[in-house]
Amino acid sequence: MIESLKQHYNIEQKDIRLFKIVIQKEKFLKTLSFISSNSNFITLSQITCTDWIEDKLFTLNYILTNKERNKNLMIELQIPREQSKISTLLNFFPQAKVMERDLHEMYGIEFIGNPTLYDFALENWKEIPPLRREFDTLAYVNEQFEFRRGREDNRDVKVEMKKRRAEAKRLKNAKK
Amino acid sequence: MQEGFIDYQKVLDNEEHAIKSTQSVIEKAVDWFRSKSMFVLAYGTGCGAIEMPPTFTSRYDIERLGVVGVATPRQADILIVSGYCSYKTLKRVIRSYEQMNEPKYVIALGSCTINGGMYWDSYNTIKRLEDYMPVDIFVNGCMPRPEALIEGFVKLQDNIRNAKRKAGYIKYIEDNEFYKANQRKIFGDNIEPTYEANFEGMN
Repeated sequence: MIESLKQHYNIEQKDIRLFKIVIQKEKFLKTLSFISSNSNFITLSQITCTDWIEDKLFTLNYILTNKERNKNLMIELQIPREQSKISTLLNFFPQAKVMERDLHEMYGIEFIGNPTLYDFALENWKEIPPLRREFDTLAYVNEQFEFRRGREDNRDVKVEMKKRRAEAKRLKNAKK
Repeated sequence: MQEGFIDYQKVLDNEEHAIKSTQSVIEKAVDWFRSKSMFVLAYGTGCGAIEMPPTFTSRYDIERLGVVGVATPRQADILIVSGYCSYKTLKRVIRSYEQMNEPKYVIALGSCTINGGMYWDSYNTIKRLEDYMPVDIFVNGCMPRPEALIEGFVKLQDNIRNAKRKAGYIKYIEDNEFYKANQRKIFGDNIEPTYEANFEGMN
C-alpha cells in the first residue's frame, strides 16, 4: 500500500514500521482525503503538536495506522503560531473530535468545523493555553498557590549524602 | 520517627490543637461505637487509589477494624483523598464531601495532598488539600504502604474515641468562609452551594 502512495507523495521511511510525509498547509485536506479513501491507513492514532516558538510555528503530526496494525504513517505540516487555524478532520476520521478538542485546550489551535471546542480537562481556565511555551508554569504556580514551609529538622540532601559516604568509606578502611 | 506520620501530622498532633474533651458517658459510648464502624466512600483520586484494594481485601483485611467500603457519599463516614487533586477532581471531591452526613472525616493519602508532591510545579494540581477542605489525618508517603493507611485509620479511631481534636466537619462549618474563599480563588464563582440553605419559595 505504501508503494501505491509513493507514486503520489514523497514518502520518507523513518523506521521499519514508520513512514513520513511532509506536506504544505494548503494541501492538507486534499492529502488526507486521498489517503483515507485510497489506502488502508484507516485509523487516526493521534495528533501531536510541537511548539517552535523561535520559528513562530506549530508542527502538527497526524499519525495514521493501517488496517493490519503494522505500519504507521506520519503526516507532518506546519502552521503559523499566531492565529493558528486549520480545518478539522472530522469528515474523514470521526475520532479526531476529542484529539482536536484536547489540542485546542492545550495549545489554542482553532480547528475550523469542530463543534466541541469548549472546556475539556481544564475547567474555567482563564490564562493562555498552558502547553504554549510562553506560558510560565512556575510563575503561575507561585502566584496561585502557597507552598508549605519545610520541616524544621530538614537537612540538605547533598551535604547529608556526602557525610554518609565519607562515614561509609571510613568504616570500610577501618575494617581493612 | 514513625513511618507515615510526619510533617503536617506533627502539627495536627501538637498540643495547641488539643481541646478538652467534654463527652458525657453516653457520648463516649456513642463515639466508641462510631470508631468501630467506619464506612469509607469507595472513591479514588489519583494513583493512591491503587493502595486501597489490598487494604480492603484479604491481604491486609482492614474490615477487622470495622472499616467497610460503601458506594455513595450519603452512606459514607470517611472520605479518602488518595493522591493528587486536579482542579476538576477537587470540584468533585468537595461535592462528594458536602453530600456526606455528619459526622464525617477525611484522610489525605500521599505527599501530593500535603505539598503537591511530584506535581509541585503543575499548573492544574492543588498543592495543599487542607486549604480547600478540612483534613483529619495526613498519611505521608509516595505511595504510602497499606500499613501506613491502616495506621492512619487506627489514629483516626483514637481521635474519634477520645475527642481530643476538633473534627474536620466542625472546622468546615466554623471556618466555612475561609474554605469557600480558597475554593472561589481557583474555581471562580462556579462553586458548590454553601451550607446556608435558601428556604425562599418553600411551603
